[in-house]
Amino acid sequence: QTKWDLPTAYPASNYHTENITQFASDVEKASAGKLKITVHANAALFKAPEIKRAVQGGQAQLGEILLVNYQNEWQMFGADGIPFLADSYDAAWKLYQAQKPALEKKLAEQGLALLYTVPWPPQGIYAKKPISSAADLKGVKWRAYSPATARVAELVGAQPVTVQQTELSQAMATGVIESYMSSGSTGYDTKTYEYIKNFYDTQAWLPKNAVLMNKKAFDALDKPTQDAVLKAAAEAEKRGWELSKKKTLEYIELLKKNGMAIHVPSDQLKADMKKVGDTMLKEWLEKSGSEGQAVVDAYKKM
Amino acid sequence: MNDVAMAALLIATLFLILGSGVWIGLTLSGVAWIGMQLFSSRPAGDAMAVTIWGSASGWTLTALPLFLWMGEILFRTRLSQDMFKGLAPWMQSLPGRLLHTNVVGCAVFAAVSGSSAATCATIGKMSLPELKRRGYPDNMVIGTLAGAGTLGLLIPPSIIMIVYGVSADVSISKLFIAGVVPGLLLGLLFSGYIMFWALRHPDQVPPADLRMSFGAKLRASLSLIPVALLILAVLGSIYTGFATATEAAAVGVVGALIISAAQGSLSWTNFREALLGATRLYCMMALILAGAAFLTLSMGYIGLPRHLAEWIASLGLSQFQLVVMLAAFFIVLGCFLDGISVVVLTMGVVMPTVIAAGIDPLWFGIFVVLVVEMAQITPPVGFNLFVLQSMTGRDLLYIARVTLPMFFLMVAAVLIIYFVPQLVTWLPRQMAP
Amino acid sequence: MRKTLDFLYDSAAALAALFMIGLLAMVLLSIVGRQIHLNVPGIDAYAGYLMAGCGFLALAHTLKRAEHIRVTLVMQSLGPAARRWLERWAVSVAALLALLFAYYSVRLVMQSIEYNDISTGNDATPLWIPQLGMAIGAVIFAIAAIDEAVIEWKGRPLRTNLEAMRHE
Ligand code: NA
Ligand code: NA
Repeated sequence: QTKWDLPTAYPASNYHTENITQFASDVEKASAGKLKITVHANAALFKAPEIKRAVQGGQAQLGEILLVNYQNEWQMFGADGIPFLADSYDAAWKLYQAQKPALEKKLAEQGLALLYTVPWPPQGIYAKKPISSAADLKGVKWRAYSPATARVAELVGAQPVTVQQTELSQAMATGVIESYMSSGSTGYDTKTYEYIKNFYDTQAWLPKNAVLMNKKAFDALDKPTQDAVLKAAAEAEKRGWELSKKKTLEYIELLKKNGMAIHVPSDQLKADMKKVGDTMLKEWLEKSGSEGQAVVDAYKKM
Repeated sequence: MNDVAMAALLIATLFLILGSGVWIGLTLSGVAWIGMQLFSSRPAGDAMAVTIWGSASGWTLTALPLFLWMGEILFRTRLSQDMFKGLAPWMQSLPGRLLHTNVVGCAVFAAVSGSSAATCATIGKMSLPELKRRGYPDNMVIGTLAGAGTLGLLIPPSIIMIVYGVSADVSISKLFIAGVVPGLLLGLLFSGYIMFWALRHPDQVPPADLRMSFGAKLRASLSLIPVALLILAVLGSIYTGFATATEAAAVGVVGALIISAAQGSLSWTNFREALLGATRLYCMMALILAGAAFLTLSMGYIGLPRHLAEWIASLGLSQFQLVVMLAAFFIVLGCFLDGISVVVLTMGVVMPTVIAAGIDPLWFGIFVVLVVEMAQITPPVGFNLFVLQSMTGRDLLYIARVTLPMFFLMVAAVLIIYFVPQLVTWLPRQMAP
Repeated sequence: MRKTLDFLYDSAAALAALFMIGLLAMVLLSIVGRQIHLNVPGIDAYAGYLMAGCGFLALAHTLKRAEHIRVTLVMQSLGPAARRWLERWAVSVAALLALLFAYYSVRLVMQSIEYNDISTGNDATPLWIPQLGMAIGAVIFAIAAIDEAVIEWKGRPLRTNLEAMRHE
């Protein structure tokens, strides 16, 4: 029997983790117990920023990462973090297909293989005060937790603020931050509704979590077990995308139930944010060069 | 090899290396290394380096060295004498007299700091020399300090509550509020114990200073102003949103420097000594934290805590049995791992069982914090014990022994909140939903 | 030789102390930055790097000053000869573990370069740079631990009270 470890940074109750746990048990069943995958949720084994290199170095055979987190390393990892490039599940799926060949090639160079991805629900804006246009965000304290959200803040004139995830609720309670951009699920998980009462469902982008695999570990398996892994991964991807879609609505409902006002963004806000997206796309294309252009071209053709 | 034999072998190795006098942080790394090499198929070295780097460079830890530094600066001012001058007249009449400053000091500082080690070190820096000078017996001074230092976790802000809140999906602000009453309860238990001890050992309590009139007492209290201002500044910075709970430690360092300058004790020598002292104290703890992080990783790979938790979940226990069983389980794990590691390693398995048994996750969070507080003072791996060993030079086992009564008081606190859960849940329920 | 080694330990500790000041500066900058609408990207990460550097660079100095803690109960209950041998065993084990730690800390830096591991935060720092602090600190710590072991094997004048020398 071969034993693999799969570290992930999210708690066991998160739908990504539930999906992964299902994947692990599918693999065990399909391989007739020959491959056992232990899922280490909650950053119990490795913390989020360490997971990719842990898989690369063979300290874990599998690992789940948020792709956009690695944009600093390679711009293409951030393709699904560009506002309004792909703003629906269909579009996100197309972008994924366009992105996939380059992604797979890059990961293969690093001794990794992409098993599957699952998106987070679309990103919206949480704001303490109502906003009807980007101008209303001027000077607002905005949590900039990633290069992309920091850039959005700069472009709309908000004041980017660095606050760690662990201090999020206290920072919201004391007004250290008044606004940030994330998915409905993050807003619910972090109990944002206790402090911030407006959610603007801008559906700006759908960042993806990816499950990566160490190539050497995979090659060491026999053919039937390899097939079992790939088959379970394909199923997990299908299941995960469906789940994510379903969860989007659920989370919006949950936010509403907890007193969050869900707003459809005004036309002005939409137009302003679109402009932000265009600028960021342009900047991203400059940084990512011909590789990025090829992905965007392929995506636009789909 | 089965889990029991594996655990026995690792624990035996731990005691062997630790007992032979190898530095504690290195011992933990050594046991982690042996565990990984023997019981998991993963190479230990690279994983060790990655995980130690991750834990040593994490933002949430930055409050610890800064609070240690603050303590070292204050230690070199008149602040501790002043504090005692101001508090003594009021505590003279209580049985146990100035021993209560440990409890009161820790409870107040707990409202500033999120960590138990920082609370213990800061208050200890001020109260240890002062209480010793006045002739209070070592065992009570050290024991109450080690115990009261753990209040840093129960009284908000608290790092462990944040960790629990994230992994168990419980509102962190509700947890913070829920910790207040049990924190005060535990403080009262500690103070009650001091009085009980003092009444039984009147000969060991140093005599009271001169009796003072009420007016004189008030005048003496004026010397509390600097310390009150410092605490007000740190607390105020958190609750007005000027600084986050982690950043507040930096406010504390600046405040301590200002007090030091105002009292005329901010010489270059004093500054340098305080800085180097804090660097060494933090370094001592960093080595242990590094070892603890690696041991946690090793346990994650081997799966011992997870298997135990799964086993407990499979027993089908009643609510009370489950609470008792989990308390025992966390206490045993807490002897060998630090509290945060215990929570991270087991919550995923434990939480579903807890919810299925109908236990309120908010209440369970306070229960976990209390049990994790115990882990701070149980040997061989207890961070408050380490802090006090470093500050007093006494042996670890001596410190653990004199702290034992505080451990039993915490067990009592767990029982009290089990039978009167409103102590935990009443205050947060008063919040708007 | 003795002088060179002590100089090495003490200068690393001085650097560690500077990192502590740097840590304070970073956190203060992040507080003040919010008030004056100045955001320094990744300042939290820099604070973390400085803290790590502070902890690791001071290791050797702290070891030499006997401020790393250990359990000396058994040692104190032994006679002089047995105690000497136990002390030799303890420092040898410690030196071995410190060597392992140093070796893999250096490897961490090299792998970070090889993997092109870049911080995922807003600072986007190539991680081998801050990790250098840990590697250098660990190497100097290993040197100090071996130094201690050599002294012990050569026969250090027996310490009469292990605890007394630690604290004023
Ligand atoms: Na606290
Ligand atoms: Na313990």
